[in-house]
Amino acid sequence: MRAAVGILAACCHLPAHKRLVEDLFREEGAGYSAEVAARLGIKEVPLQDGAASETASNMAVAAGREALQRAGVDPLTVDVVVEYSIMPQEYLVPVWNMSNKVQAEVGASKSFVVGFSGGGSSNFMVALSSAAAMLAENDSLKTALLVTGDTTIPGNRVLNPADPVTVMGDGASAVVLRRDAPGGIVIDTELWSDGNNHDVCYIPGGSLIHPEDINFYRMQLDKARYDAFPKAETLRQMSNKLLERAGIKFTDVASVLCSNISAQDETEMQQAFENKVSPVCATNRESHGHLQGTDFPLNYLSSIESGIVKQGDYVLGVSHGMGATAAVSLLRC
Amino acid sequence: MNANIGIFEANYYLPSTKKTLAQVFEDEEKPTESFAANVDFEKDIGIDALHVAKEETAADLCINAARLTLSKSAIDPKEIDLIIDFTSIPEDYVAPTWSAAGQVQQAIGATRAFTTAINTGGCASYQTTLKVACSLMSANDRYNTALLVAGDKTPEFNHNYFPITVVSDGGSAVILKKNMTTRRILGVEVATVGRLHDMWVIPGIHNRKTEDIGGKYPRWLHVCGDIQRFNKELIPINLFMFRKVMLGVLKQVGKKMEDVDYFVYPTFSAWDQDAFLKAFKLPREKVSTENMHHGHLQETDMVVGYVDALEAGRIKDGDLVMLATNGAGFSWGASLVQH
Repeated sequence: MRAAVGILAACCHLPAHKRLVEDLFREEGAGYSAEVAARLGIKEVPLQDGAASETASNMAVAAGREALQRAGVDPLTVDVVVEYSIMPQEYLVPVWNMSNKVQAEVGASKSFVVGFSGGGSSNFMVALSSAAAMLAENDSLKTALLVTGDTTIPGNRVLNPADPVTVMGDGASAVVLRRDAPGGIVIDTELWSDGNNHDVCYIPGGSLIHPEDINFYRMQLDKARYDAFPKAETLRQMSNKLLERAGIKFTDVASVLCSNISAQDETEMQQAFENKVSPVCATNRESHGHLQGTDFPLNYLSSIESGIVKQGDYVLGVSHGMGATAAVSLLRC
Repeated sequence: MNANIGIFEANYYLPSTKKTLAQVFEDEEKPTESFAANVDFEKDIGIDALHVAKEETAADLCINAARLTLSKSAIDPKEIDLIIDFTSIPEDYVAPTWSAAGQVQQAIGATRAFTTAINTGGCASYQTTLKVACSLMSANDRYNTALLVAGDKTPEFNHNYFPITVVSDGGSAVILKKNMTTRRILGVEVATVGRLHDMWVIPGIHNRKTEDIGGKYPRWLHVCGDIQRFNKELIPINLFMFRKVMLGVLKQVGKKMEDVDYFVYPTFSAWDQDAFLKAFKLPREKVSTENMHHGHLQETDMVVGYVDALEAGRIKDGDLVMLATNGAGFSWGASLVQH
């Protein structure tokens, strides 16, 4: 890339209301045991309680406004709004996308919008990589607002109730990227897909194949295929490749940020990444559960605010998502 | 942006089954709202029949288009670095959780590709996707070949997009490569007017009104348009926005409107094409106005118009080609291809 692109500011906007995971399991008819609790490592998740201000797009607008304010960026100078949500939105995507509403309501009226589908939790890094490329390679584009808002499907917060993988919460986040930013430099991103697992996790109902079946309007996971996918190993191999390309050694990486899926998932990441996964991931997972694309901005902000990551430190963001997609981003704070 | 990224190959796939427009209008719900333009929607639209997919899924349409394009290009699928799905209506499973890109990767054996989908822009998703794909290729030495794919299957009884158009089913694919000396993408410009976001939507299964369920027109996935807002807020700015993105992309690359030899424009309707010709003082032979027999194919219109013009010899070596369209959201996009 010609010019360095970096994160000017980030923000998360989460519902004030929280639910205990144990209660959600009971409501959704899933078995909750000490073994499940330990494997997930999630105590509670934020969930919108029906307030109009807490629709996915309204939370995304709030996050977008706050991120722009923190960055000191006039919305009229935003060149592109990039959206990275994972859950279904108020209207059906791709005919509708919340990025258009965000553009209008934050006042970024000179921008155009781009949204990404199909990468699950990796969608954030797909958006980050694409936005960084657009800002670096187009003279007319200097500032991007990355934004998401995800609200879970009622009765579908426990993913794969028969053998739970995670508990999902609601939330929104936004990141302001700018060419020639002083820090938070997006050095590179490595992206990988395995189309054989395109349907390892998806929502069948309300689609062209099952347009009318509300019982299928739930995120479904093929647990056997999910388990078989070598997630941590794939991400470590991708990280090695990316670091080699960047001319940086793994020993130079200060911290690794992973998605807040479960304690089990994090244990595998800790093993693959030599115990460099930041403690903020466990803390945020326990108190928020899995917030899809918002996991990375949340963990990134916590790392900065807690002082765990300092200016000049290298940080690796790693994520595996449906699709199946895996993503690794290297940043210099 | 790397100015040597170009369209290596492009093609489209249309299901063989056709349905006459008379039959479509007989089968589908009659619009009750009035349309501001002084035209008879059914008689003046200029489209006689539509392509309709029967058993084929939307992903099948993507895959068929990808295979046709790969076959025409003689490229080994294992060379593909990026697959980007730019479909603009709902697919086989719910988005943004799922996209057809992974299924395409699996079907064609593009084992080293990274896959994603662009879900904004409506019919202008073609331009948005070109912008992202060219930027990613330009920024990363390892991305040399990209496959852009789309496949649209309209729900039964929803081919009538009053007051805009009538829609066919079909798929398209475009292969982009670096180090091209012809068909180079000189620039792409996209503009969005987000305040129109809720003028053209599909409520979805979670958001449907009870009166929409059951009966002859079970509108689970049917589009809903606010015709009054369409008349008052979209029509007055439409040509202004086209001018903005077309002049924008010309300015990016230091060209003028008179330098453009050929325009690829969507097949929404005959009156829409006439308005475009009149607004920009273009002779009919400089614009892709000969594809109305396919019906409107959403974002695939850009590929169909381009491929048909190439095959008919309407685009020649050395020509500067402008592809321009608009779409739900609302966005307008224009790109320039140097032959």
